[in-house]
Amino acid sequence: MFYAQLFVNGLFQGLVIGLAALSITLVFGIARFPNAATGDSMTLGAYAALAAHKASGSFIVAGLGAAGATGLVLLLAYWSVFRKLANRSVVALLVASIGIAFVLRAALGVAFGHGQQVFQVPLARPYLFGGLRILPLDLQMALVALVTLIAVFGLLYLTAIGRQMRAVADNRDLARVSGIRPGRVMIALWLLAGAVAGIAGMMLGMKTIVTPEFGWEMLLPAFTAAILGGIGSPVGAVVAGLILGAMQEVSTPFVGFTYKIAIAFVIMLAVLLVRPRGLFGRVEGVR
Amino acid sequence: MSLEIRDITKSFGGFRALDGVRLTIETDALFGIIGPNGAGKSTLFSVISGFVPADSGEIRLNGDPIDGLSPPQRARAGMVRTFQVPREFSHLTVRENLMASAPDQTGESLLGLFFRPGQVRKEEAKIAETVERTIAFLKLGKVADVPSGKLSGGQKKLLELGRALMVEPKLILLDEPFAGVNPVLIGEIMERIEELNARGIGFVIIEHDLEALTRLVPRLAVMDRGKVLAEGAPAAVLEDPVVREAYLGGVS
Repeated sequence: MFYAQLFVNGLFQGLVIGLAALSITLVFGIARFPNAATGDSMTLGAYAALAAHKASGSFIVAGLGAAGATGLVLLLAYWSVFRKLANRSVVALLVASIGIAFVLRAALGVAFGHGQQVFQVPLARPYLFGGLRILPLDLQMALVALVTLIAVFGLLYLTAIGRQMRAVADNRDLARVSGIRPGRVMIALWLLAGAVAGIAGMMLGMKTIVTPEFGWEMLLPAFTAAILGGIGSPVGAVVAGLILGAMQEVSTPFVGFTYKIAIAFVIMLAVLLVRPRGLFGRVEGVR
Repeated sequence: MSLEIRDITKSFGGFRALDGVRLTIETDALFGIIGPNGAGKSTLFSVISGFVPADSGEIRLNGDPIDGLSPPQRARAGMVRTFQVPREFSHLTVRENLMASAPDQTGESLLGLFFRPGQVRKEEAKIAETVERTIAFLKLGKVADVPSGKLSGGQKKLLELGRALMVEPKLILLDEPFAGVNPVLIGEIMERIEELNARGIGFVIIEHDLEALTRLVPRLAVMDRGKVLAEGAPAAVLEDPVVREAYLGGVS
Protein backbone atom coordinates (compact mmCIF):
# COMPACT_ATOMS: atom_id res chain seq x y z
CA MET A 1 0.00 0.00 0.00
CA PHE A 2 2.90 2.27 0.83
CA TYR A 3 4.36 1.79 -2.66
CA ALA A 4 0.96 2.15 -4.31
CA GLN A 5 0.63 5.50 -2.56
CA LEU A 6 4.07 6.55 -3.77
CA PHE A 7 3.19 5.35 -7.26
CA VAL A 8 0.03 7.47 -7.35
CA ASN A 9 1.86 10.49 -5.98
CA GLY A 10 4.45 9.92 -8.65
CA LEU A 11 1.84 9.94 -11.38
CA PHE A 12 0.70 13.38 -10.26
CA GLN A 13 4.33 14.54 -10.29
CA GLY A 14 4.66 12.87 -13.67
CA LEU A 15 1.90 15.03 -15.15
CA VAL A 16 4.05 18.10 -14.52
CA ILE A 17 7.11 16.41 -16.02
CA GLY A 18 5.01 15.19 -18.93
CA LEU A 19 3.69 18.65 -19.76
CA ALA A 20 7.18 20.12 -19.61
CA ALA A 21 8.45 17.31 -21.82
CA LEU A 22 5.58 17.94 -24.22
CA SER A 23 6.70 21.55 -24.56
CA ILE A 24 10.29 20.42 -25.21
CA THR A 25 9.30 17.77 -27.71
CA LEU A 26 7.02 20.12 -29.67
CA VAL A 27 9.84 22.64 -30.06
CA PHE A 28 12.33 19.93 -30.91
CA GLY A 29 10.07 18.36 -33.52
CA ILE A 30 9.19 21.58 -35.30
CA ALA A 31 11.90 24.17 -34.61
CA ARG A 32 14.51 21.42 -34.28
CA PHE A 33 16.49 22.35 -31.21
CA PRO A 34 16.42 21.44 -27.52
CA ASN A 35 14.89 24.44 -25.80
CA ALA A 36 16.83 24.94 -22.57
CA ALA A 37 14.56 27.85 -21.67
CA THR A 38 11.67 25.45 -21.02
CA GLY A 39 12.42 25.21 -17.28
CA ASP A 40 12.55 28.94 -16.77
CA SER A 41 9.42 29.33 -18.89
CA MET A 42 7.77 27.16 -16.26
CA THR A 43 9.02 29.51 -13.56
CA LEU A 44 7.55 32.40 -15.49
CA GLY A 45 4.25 30.53 -15.72
CA ALA A 46 4.25 29.96 -11.98
CA TYR A 47 4.84 33.66 -11.18
CA ALA A 48 2.26 34.73 -13.75
CA ALA A 49 -0.22 32.33 -12.17
CA LEU A 50 0.64 33.64 -8.66
CA ALA A 51 0.03 37.22 -9.78
CA ALA A 52 -3.19 36.34 -11.60
CA HIS A 53 -4.39 34.31 -8.63
CA LYS A 54 -3.68 37.11 -6.17
CA ALA A 55 -5.52 39.58 -8.36
CA SER A 56 -8.54 37.44 -9.11
CA GLY A 57 -8.67 34.67 -6.52
CA SER A 58 -9.55 32.24 -9.30
CA PHE A 59 -7.40 29.30 -10.32
CA ILE A 60 -8.92 29.32 -13.78
CA VAL A 61 -7.77 32.90 -14.31
CA ALA A 62 -4.39 31.87 -12.88
CA GLY A 63 -4.09 29.07 -15.42
CA LEU A 64 -5.06 31.31 -18.32
CA GLY A 65 -2.58 33.92 -17.06
CA ALA A 66 0.19 31.34 -16.87
CA ALA A 67 -0.54 29.99 -20.34
CA GLY A 68 -0.98 33.41 -21.92
CA ALA A 69 2.03 35.13 -20.36
CA THR A 70 4.42 32.25 -21.01
CA GLY A 71 3.15 31.79 -24.55
CA LEU A 72 3.63 35.45 -25.35
CA VAL A 73 7.11 35.60 -23.81
CA LEU A 74 8.28 32.56 -25.76
CA LEU A 75 6.74 34.03 -28.90
CA LEU A 76 8.74 37.18 -28.22
CA ALA A 77 11.87 35.07 -27.71
CA TYR A 78 11.21 33.42 -31.06
CA TRP A 79 10.57 36.73 -32.74
CA SER A 80 13.65 38.46 -31.39
CA VAL A 81 16.18 35.61 -31.18
CA PHE A 82 15.32 32.11 -32.47
CA ARG A 83 13.89 33.37 -35.76
CA LYS A 84 17.16 35.08 -36.61
CA LEU A 85 19.16 31.95 -35.87
CA ALA A 86 16.81 29.60 -37.70
CA ASN A 87 19.34 28.75 -40.39
CA ARG A 88 22.23 28.31 -37.97
CA SER A 89 23.31 25.13 -36.28
CA VAL A 90 21.39 23.41 -33.50
CA VAL A 91 24.19 24.38 -31.11
CA ALA A 92 23.68 28.08 -31.85
CA LEU A 93 19.98 27.74 -31.06
CA LEU A 94 20.63 25.67 -27.93
CA VAL A 95 23.10 28.24 -26.62
CA ALA A 96 20.68 31.04 -27.45
CA SER A 97 17.94 29.24 -25.50
CA ILE A 98 20.29 28.92 -22.50
CA GLY A 99 20.77 32.67 -22.79
CA ILE A 100 17.02 33.24 -22.85
CA ALA A 101 16.77 31.01 -19.78
CA PHE A 102 19.26 33.16 -17.85
CA VAL A 103 17.52 36.36 -18.90
CA LEU A 104 14.15 35.00 -17.78
CA ARG A 105 15.49 33.81 -14.43
CA ALA A 106 17.26 37.10 -13.74
CA ALA A 107 14.22 39.16 -14.75
CA LEU A 108 11.96 37.10 -12.50
CA GLY A 109 14.42 37.46 -9.63
CA VAL A 110 14.43 41.23 -10.01
CA ALA A 111 10.68 41.47 -10.42
CA PHE A 112 9.56 39.10 -7.66
CA GLY A 113 12.59 38.80 -5.40
CA HIS A 114 14.36 35.59 -4.42
CA GLY A 115 12.12 34.78 -1.48
CA GLN A 116 9.86 31.76 -1.52
CA GLN A 117 6.30 32.32 -2.59
CA VAL A 118 3.39 29.96 -2.25
CA PHE A 119 -0.08 29.67 -3.68
CA GLN A 120 -2.76 30.28 -1.10
CA VAL A 121 -4.40 26.90 -1.44
CA PRO A 122 -7.21 26.04 0.95
CA LEU A 123 -6.42 23.06 3.13
CA ALA A 124 -8.56 20.08 2.40
CA ARG A 125 -8.94 16.57 3.72
CA PRO A 126 -7.69 13.93 1.27
CA TYR A 127 -10.14 11.57 -0.36
CA LEU A 128 -9.71 7.92 0.48
CA PHE A 129 -9.87 5.42 -2.38
CA GLY A 130 -9.53 1.96 -0.90
CA GLY A 131 -6.66 3.03 1.31
CA LEU A 132 -5.07 5.43 -1.16
CA ARG A 133 -5.06 9.02 0.01
CA ILE A 134 -5.56 11.53 -2.78
CA LEU A 135 -5.63 15.27 -2.25
CA PRO A 136 -8.45 17.19 -3.92
CA LEU A 137 -5.80 19.59 -5.18
CA ASP A 138 -4.04 16.75 -6.97
CA LEU A 139 -7.26 15.71 -8.65
CA GLN A 140 -7.96 19.27 -9.71
CA MET A 141 -4.49 19.57 -11.15
CA ALA A 142 -4.85 16.29 -12.96
CA LEU A 143 -7.99 17.76 -14.46
CA VAL A 144 -6.09 20.88 -15.52
CA ALA A 145 -3.42 18.72 -17.10
CA LEU A 146 -6.06 16.64 -18.86
CA VAL A 147 -7.78 19.72 -20.26
CA THR A 148 -4.42 21.05 -21.43
CA LEU A 149 -3.56 17.76 -23.11
CA ILE A 150 -6.95 17.57 -24.80
CA ALA A 151 -6.49 21.12 -26.08
CA VAL A 152 -2.97 20.42 -27.37
CA PHE A 153 -3.80 17.13 -29.05
CA GLY A 154 -7.04 18.54 -30.45
CA LEU A 155 -5.07 21.38 -31.98
CA LEU A 156 -2.39 19.05 -33.34
CA TYR A 157 -4.65 16.38 -34.79
CA LEU A 158 -7.93 18.08 -35.64
CA THR A 159 -7.08 21.49 -37.06
CA ALA A 160 -5.41 22.78 -40.19
CA ILE A 161 -2.64 24.54 -38.27
CA GLY A 162 -1.97 21.38 -36.26
CA ARG A 163 -1.74 19.32 -39.41
CA GLN A 164 0.68 21.86 -40.81
CA MET A 165 2.75 21.79 -37.62
CA ARG A 166 3.03 18.03 -37.94
CA ALA A 167 3.81 18.39 -41.64
CA VAL A 168 6.66 20.83 -40.87
CA ALA A 169 7.95 18.47 -38.17
CA ASP A 170 7.86 15.64 -40.70
CA ASN A 171 9.48 17.23 -43.74
CA ARG A 172 10.28 20.90 -43.57
CA ASP A 173 11.33 21.31 -47.21
CA LEU A 174 8.27 19.58 -48.54
CA ALA A 175 6.09 21.70 -46.26
CA ARG A 176 7.60 24.84 -47.71
CA VAL A 177 6.96 23.82 -51.31
CA SER A 178 3.46 22.68 -50.42
CA GLY A 179 2.61 26.28 -49.68
CA ILE A 180 2.62 25.89 -45.89
CA ARG A 181 3.67 29.21 -44.38
CA PRO A 182 6.47 28.53 -41.90
CA GLY A 183 5.96 31.84 -40.06
CA ARG A 184 2.44 30.94 -39.03
CA VAL A 185 3.45 27.48 -37.93
CA MET A 186 6.22 28.96 -35.78
CA ILE A 187 3.90 31.48 -34.13
CA ALA A 188 1.47 28.70 -33.27
CA LEU A 189 4.31 26.49 -32.05
CA TRP A 190 5.77 29.02 -29.63
CA LEU A 191 2.42 30.09 -28.25
CA LEU A 192 1.53 26.45 -27.72
CA ALA A 193 4.90 25.37 -26.28
CA GLY A 194 4.85 28.42 -24.00
CA ALA A 195 1.30 27.84 -22.82
CA VAL A 196 2.03 24.20 -22.00
CA ALA A 197 5.24 25.08 -20.13
CA GLY A 198 3.40 27.86 -18.27
CA ILE A 199 0.67 25.52 -17.08
CA ALA A 200 3.28 22.93 -16.06
CA GLY A 201 4.97 25.71 -14.07
CA MET A 202 1.75 26.65 -12.33
CA MET A 203 1.09 23.03 -11.40
CA LEU A 204 4.60 22.62 -10.02
CA GLY A 205 4.23 25.88 -8.10
CA MET A 206 1.04 24.70 -6.46
CA LYS A 207 2.73 21.49 -5.31
CA THR A 208 5.84 23.16 -3.96
CA ILE A 209 7.19 26.62 -3.32
CA VAL A 210 7.94 29.08 -6.08
CA THR A 211 11.43 30.54 -6.38
CA PRO A 212 13.12 31.98 -9.47
CA GLU A 213 15.24 28.81 -9.73
CA PHE A 214 12.61 26.13 -9.32
CA GLY A 215 11.78 25.66 -13.01
CA TRP A 216 15.41 25.27 -13.98
CA GLU A 217 15.64 22.25 -11.71
CA MET A 218 12.84 20.61 -13.66
CA LEU A 219 14.74 20.80 -16.92
CA LEU A 220 16.63 17.54 -16.45
CA PRO A 221 13.62 15.33 -15.70
CA ALA A 222 11.70 17.06 -18.49
CA PHE A 223 14.46 16.41 -21.01
CA THR A 224 14.73 12.84 -19.80
CA ALA A 225 11.02 12.31 -20.36
CA ALA A 226 11.22 13.89 -23.83
CA ILE A 227 14.08 11.52 -24.75
CA LEU A 228 12.49 8.49 -23.11
CA GLY A 229 9.24 9.16 -24.95
CA GLY A 230 11.05 9.50 -28.25
CA ILE A 231 12.03 13.04 -29.07
CA GLY A 232 9.43 14.71 -31.27
CA SER A 233 6.63 12.40 -30.13
CA PRO A 234 3.96 14.33 -28.16
CA VAL A 235 2.23 11.19 -26.85
CA GLY A 236 5.58 9.70 -25.88
CA ALA A 237 6.53 12.80 -23.89
CA VAL A 238 3.42 12.60 -21.73
CA VAL A 239 3.60 8.85 -21.17
CA ALA A 240 7.31 9.04 -20.36
CA GLY A 241 6.62 11.89 -17.94
CA LEU A 242 4.19 9.70 -16.03
CA ILE A 243 6.62 6.76 -16.00
CA LEU A 244 9.46 8.96 -14.82
CA GLY A 245 7.37 10.61 -12.12
CA ALA A 246 6.25 7.24 -10.77
CA MET A 247 9.78 5.82 -10.86
CA GLN A 248 11.21 8.80 -9.01
CA GLU A 249 8.67 8.52 -6.21
CA VAL A 250 8.76 4.73 -5.87
CA SER A 251 12.56 4.76 -5.77
CA THR A 252 12.74 7.36 -3.00
CA PRO A 253 12.69 4.81 -0.11
CA PHE A 254 15.67 3.05 -1.70
CA VAL A 255 17.86 5.91 -2.86
CA GLY A 256 16.72 8.66 -0.57
CA PHE A 257 15.05 11.94 -1.28
CA THR A 258 18.24 13.71 -2.36
CA TYR A 259 19.05 11.22 -5.06
CA LYS A 260 15.68 10.68 -6.62
CA ILE A 261 16.65 13.31 -9.20
CA ALA A 262 19.55 11.06 -10.17
CA ILE A 263 17.00 8.50 -11.39
CA ALA A 264 16.37 10.84 -14.31
CA PHE A 265 20.09 10.81 -15.14
CA VAL A 266 20.27 7.06 -15.04
CA ILE A 267 17.19 6.66 -17.20
CA MET A 268 18.42 9.22 -19.71
CA LEU A 269 21.78 7.45 -19.99
CA ALA A 270 20.14 4.06 -20.29
CA VAL A 271 17.75 5.25 -23.01
CA LEU A 272 20.49 6.95 -24.98
CA LEU A 273 22.66 3.85 -24.81
CA VAL A 274 20.05 1.17 -25.37
CA ARG A 275 17.23 2.71 -27.36
CA PRO A 276 18.10 6.21 -28.54
CA ARG A 277 14.84 6.65 -30.37
CA GLY A 278 12.88 6.24 -27.15
CA LEU A 279 9.61 4.45 -26.52
CA PHE A 280 7.51 6.09 -29.22
CA GLY A 281 10.28 7.54 -31.34
CA ARG A 282 11.15 7.08 -34.93
CA VAL A 283 14.54 6.52 -36.43
CA GLU A 284 15.66 9.96 -37.43
CA GLY A 285 18.00 10.46 -40.30
CA VAL A 286 21.10 12.53 -39.86
CA ARG A 287 20.39 16.11 -40.67
CA MET B 1 -1.97 29.31 -72.83
CA SER B 2 1.61 28.19 -72.73
CA LEU B 3 4.76 27.74 -70.74
CA GLU B 4 7.64 29.43 -72.52
CA ILE B 5 11.19 28.57 -71.62
CA ARG B 6 13.55 31.07 -73.17
CA ASP B 7 17.29 30.54 -73.36
CA ILE B 8 17.68 29.15 -69.85
CA THR B 9 21.22 28.48 -68.73
CA LYS B 10 22.35 27.11 -65.39
CA SER B 11 25.82 26.08 -64.27
CA PHE B 12 26.85 24.28 -61.11
CA GLY B 13 30.48 25.20 -60.58
CA GLY B 14 32.08 24.53 -63.94
CA PHE B 15 29.34 22.15 -65.07
CA ARG B 16 26.79 23.51 -67.53
CA ALA B 17 23.62 21.71 -66.56
CA LEU B 18 21.42 23.79 -68.85
CA ASP B 19 22.82 25.47 -71.92
CA GLY B 20 20.36 27.75 -73.65
CA VAL B 21 17.19 25.65 -73.34
CA ARG B 22 14.29 26.87 -75.43
CA LEU B 23 10.90 25.19 -75.35
CA THR B 24 7.31 26.25 -75.72
CA ILE B 25 4.81 23.91 -74.10
CA GLU B 26 1.04 24.20 -74.34
CA THR B 27 -0.31 24.17 -70.79
CA ASP B 28 -3.19 21.83 -71.59
CA ALA B 29 -1.07 19.26 -73.42
CA LEU B 30 0.84 16.11 -72.54
CA PHE B 31 4.49 16.82 -73.20
CA GLY B 32 7.40 14.47 -72.63
CA ILE B 33 11.07 15.14 -71.97
CA ILE B 34 13.59 12.35 -72.43
CA GLY B 35 17.35 12.21 -72.33
CA PRO B 36 20.23 10.34 -70.75
CA ASN B 37 21.21 10.81 -67.12
CA GLY B 38 22.79 14.19 -66.56
CA ALA B 39 21.07 15.69 -69.61
CA GLY B 40 19.63 18.45 -67.41
CA LYS B 41 16.00 17.31 -67.29
CA SER B 42 15.53 17.47 -63.53
CA THR B 43 17.50 20.72 -63.37
CA LEU B 44 15.14 22.16 -65.94
CA PHE B 45 12.19 21.15 -63.73
CA SER B 46 13.85 22.75 -60.72
CA VAL B 47 14.33 25.98 -62.64
CA ILE B 48 10.76 25.96 -63.99
CA SER B 49 9.27 25.30 -60.56
CA GLY B 50 11.49 27.89 -58.88
CA PHE B 51 13.65 25.63 -56.70
CA VAL B 52 16.83 26.67 -58.47
CA PRO B 53 17.36 30.12 -59.96
CA ALA B 54 18.51 30.23 -63.59
CA ASP B 55 21.76 32.01 -64.43
CA SER B 56 20.15 33.65 -67.43
CA GLY B 57 17.03 33.36 -69.55
CA GLU B 58 13.38 33.79 -68.80
CA ILE B 59 10.30 31.70 -68.09
CA ARG B 60 6.83 32.87 -68.92
CA LEU B 61 3.55 31.30 -67.92
CA ASN B 62 0.69 32.44 -70.14
CA GLY B 63 2.78 35.42 -71.22
CA ASP B 64 3.73 36.61 -67.71
CA PRO B 65 7.33 36.27 -66.53
CA ILE B 66 7.40 34.11 -63.38
CA ASP B 67 11.12 34.23 -62.64
CA GLY B 68 10.62 36.28 -59.47
CA LEU B 69 8.08 33.89 -57.91
CA SER B 70 8.90 31.40 -55.12
CA PRO B 71 7.90 27.73 -55.53
CA PRO B 72 4.70 28.12 -53.45
CA GLN B 73 3.77 31.21 -55.44
CA ARG B 74 4.27 29.29 -58.65
CA ALA B 75 2.14 26.51 -57.22
CA ARG B 76 -0.64 29.00 -56.51
CA ALA B 77 -0.24 30.32 -60.07
CA GLY B 78 -1.26 26.82 -61.17
CA MET B 79 2.01 25.02 -61.77
CA VAL B 80 3.24 22.26 -59.46
CA ARG B 81 5.92 19.64 -59.62
CA THR B 82 6.56 16.18 -58.23
CA PHE B 83 9.92 14.66 -57.43
CA GLN B 84 11.97 11.85 -58.90
CA VAL B 85 12.21 10.30 -55.45
CA PRO B 86 8.71 10.75 -54.05
CA ARG B 87 8.46 13.01 -51.04
CA GLU B 88 5.70 12.80 -48.51
CA PHE B 89 4.93 13.65 -44.90
CA SER B 90 5.75 10.10 -43.92
CA HIS B 91 4.17 10.12 -40.45
CA LEU B 92 0.95 11.70 -41.63
CA THR B 93 -1.70 9.47 -43.16
CA VAL B 94 -2.53 9.64 -46.85
CA ARG B 95 -5.62 11.64 -46.00
CA GLU B 96 -3.69 14.07 -43.80
CA ASN B 97 -1.03 14.48 -46.48
CA LEU B 98 -3.69 15.63 -48.91
CA MET B 99 -5.40 17.85 -46.32
CA ALA B 100 -2.09 19.54 -45.48
CA SER B 101 -1.47 20.24 -49.15
CA ALA B 102 -4.61 22.31 -49.61
CA PRO B 103 -3.56 25.95 -49.82
CA ASP B 104 -4.88 28.99 -47.97
CA GLN B 105 -6.94 27.61 -45.12
CA THR B 106 -8.43 29.92 -42.51
CA GLY B 107 -7.63 27.29 -39.90
CA GLU B 108 -3.94 27.82 -40.67
CA SER B 109 -3.92 30.83 -38.41
CA LEU B 110 -4.68 30.63 -34.70
CA LEU B 111 -6.71 33.81 -34.94
CA GLY B 112 -8.82 32.29 -37.68
CA LEU B 113 -9.23 29.16 -35.62
CA PHE B 114 -10.56 31.02 -32.59
CA PHE B 115 -12.48 33.86 -34.13
CA ARG B 116 -13.93 32.36 -37.29
CA PRO B 117 -14.70 28.78 -36.29
CA GLY B 118 -17.74 28.68 -38.57
CA GLN B 119 -15.74 29.48 -41.65
CA VAL B 120 -12.97 27.11 -40.60
CA ARG B 121 -15.49 24.29 -40.28
CA LYS B 122 -17.02 25.09 -43.67
CA GLU B 123 -13.61 25.14 -45.32
CA GLU B 124 -12.53 21.94 -43.61
CA ALA B 125 -15.66 20.24 -44.88
CA LYS B 126 -14.98 21.47 -48.41
CA ILE B 127 -11.34 20.40 -48.31
CA ALA B 128 -12.32 17.05 -46.84
CA GLU B 129 -14.70 16.60 -49.74
CA THR B 130 -11.97 17.40 -52.29
CA VAL B 131 -9.65 15.02 -50.45
CA GLU B 132 -12.21 12.20 -50.56
CA ARG B 133 -12.74 12.79 -54.28
CA THR B 134 -9.00 12.76 -54.89
CA ILE B 135 -8.58 9.56 -52.85
CA ALA B 136 -11.37 7.89 -54.82
CA PHE B 137 -9.96 9.13 -58.13
CA LEU B 138 -6.49 7.77 -57.34
CA LYS B 139 -7.96 4.57 -55.85
CA LEU B 140 -6.09 5.09 -52.60
CA GLY B 141 -9.16 4.38 -50.48
CA LYS B 142 -7.69 1.26 -48.89
CA VAL B 143 -4.63 3.10 -47.61
CA ALA B 144 -6.29 6.44 -46.79
CA ASP B 145 -5.54 6.11 -43.07
CA VAL B 146 -2.13 4.51 -43.40
CA PRO B 147 0.95 6.63 -42.59
CA SER B 148 2.25 7.49 -46.04
CA GLY B 149 5.77 6.32 -45.20
CA LYS B 150 4.42 2.76 -45.37
CA LEU B 151 3.13 3.01 -48.95
CA SER B 152 4.70 1.22 -51.92
CA GLY B 153 6.72 3.19 -54.47
CA GLY B 154 3.82 3.33 -56.90
CA GLN B 155 1.33 4.39 -54.24
CA LYS B 156 3.71 7.17 -53.20
CA LYS B 157 3.79 8.38 -56.80
CA LEU B 158 -0.01 8.42 -56.81
CA LEU B 159 -0.01 10.32 -53.52
CA GLU B 160 2.39 12.87 -55.00
CA LEU B 161 0.01 13.30 -57.90
CA GLY B 162 -2.80 13.71 -55.38
CA ARG B 163 -0.91 16.34 -53.41
CA ALA B 164 -0.26 18.19 -56.66
CA LEU B 165 -3.98 18.05 -57.48
CA MET B 166 -4.91 19.68 -54.14
CA VAL B 167 -3.74 23.09 -55.38
CA GLU B 168 -6.04 22.77 -58.42
CA PRO B 169 -3.21 23.15 -60.88
CA LYS B 170 -3.32 23.87 -64.58
CA LEU B 171 0.04 22.30 -65.29
CA ILE B 172 1.78 19.48 -63.44
CA LEU B 173 5.46 18.67 -63.84
CA LEU B 174 6.03 14.96 -63.24
CA ASP B 175 9.60 13.82 -62.62
CA GLU B 176 9.83 10.14 -63.59
CA PRO B 177 6.35 9.07 -62.52
CA PHE B 178 6.98 5.46 -63.59
CA ALA B 179 10.42 4.90 -62.08
CA GLY B 180 10.42 1.96 -59.68
CA VAL B 181 6.69 1.40 -60.07
CA ASN B 182 5.29 -2.05 -60.80
CA PRO B 183 3.78 -2.47 -64.29
CA VAL B 184 0.18 -2.73 -63.08
CA LEU B 185 0.43 0.59 -61.27
CA ILE B 186 2.17 2.17 -64.28
CA GLY B 187 -0.95 1.49 -66.32
CA GLU B 188 -3.02 2.91 -63.48
CA ILE B 189 -0.96 6.09 -63.25
CA MET B 190 -1.09 6.54 -67.05
CA GLU B 191 -4.87 6.25 -67.02
CA ARG B 192 -5.14 8.87 -64.26
CA ILE B 193 -2.88 11.22 -66.21
CA GLU B 194 -4.98 10.80 -69.36
CA GLU B 195 -8.23 11.40 -67.44
CA LEU B 196 -6.84 14.55 -65.84
CA ASN B 197 -5.58 15.75 -69.20
CA ALA B 198 -9.04 15.25 -70.65
CA ARG B 199 -10.25 17.67 -67.96
CA GLY B 200 -7.80 20.29 -69.23
CA ILE B 201 -4.83 19.78 -66.88
CA GLY B 202 -1.51 19.77 -68.73
CA PHE B 203 1.47 17.56 -67.90
CA VAL B 204 5.14 17.82 -68.59
CA ILE B 205 6.67 14.41 -67.95
CA ILE B 206 10.30 13.48 -67.56
CA GLU B 207 10.73 9.76 -68.10
CA HIS B 208 13.31 7.10 -68.74
CA ASP B 209 10.70 4.54 -69.72
CA LEU B 210 10.61 5.47 -73.40
CA GLU B 211 7.98 2.92 -74.28
CA ALA B 212 5.51 4.18 -71.65
CA LEU B 213 6.20 7.79 -72.50
CA THR B 214 5.71 7.43 -76.24
CA ARG B 215 2.35 5.76 -75.63
CA LEU B 216 1.28 8.67 -73.45
CA VAL B 217 2.46 11.89 -75.07
CA PRO B 218 1.83 13.25 -78.57
CA ARG B 219 4.90 15.50 -78.38
CA LEU B 220 8.25 15.24 -76.71
CA ALA B 221 11.63 16.85 -76.53
CA VAL B 222 15.00 15.13 -76.31
CA MET B 223 17.67 16.68 -74.10
CA ASP B 224 21.37 15.97 -73.93
CA ARG B 225 24.14 17.85 -72.14
CA GLY B 226 21.90 20.75 -71.22
CA LYS B 227 20.53 21.30 -74.70
CA VAL B 228 17.32 20.43 -76.50
CA LEU B 229 18.36 18.20 -79.40
CA ALA B 230 15.01 17.73 -81.05
CA GLU B 231 11.32 18.26 -80.46
CA GLY B 232 8.22 16.86 -82.10
CA ALA B 233 6.07 13.75 -82.41
CA PRO B 234 7.72 10.72 -80.71
CA ALA B 235 8.10 8.65 -83.88
CA ALA B 236 9.73 11.47 -85.82
CA VAL B 237 11.99 12.51 -82.94
CA LEU B 238 13.21 8.99 -82.32
CA GLU B 239 14.10 8.64 -86.01
CA ASP B 240 16.23 11.79 -85.86
CA PRO B 241 19.88 10.73 -86.45
CA VAL B 242 21.23 13.27 -83.92
CA VAL B 243 18.93 11.83 -81.28
CA ARG B 244 19.82 8.25 -82.13
CA GLU B 245 23.47 9.13 -81.82
CA ALA B 246 23.15 10.92 -78.48
CA TYR B 247 20.42 9.07 -76.69
CA LEU B 248 20.40 5.58 -78.10
CA GLY B 249 24.16 5.53 -78.57
CA GLY B 250 23.78 4.99 -82.32
CA VAL B 251 22.29 1.52 -81.83
CA SER B 252 19.47 0.94 -84.27
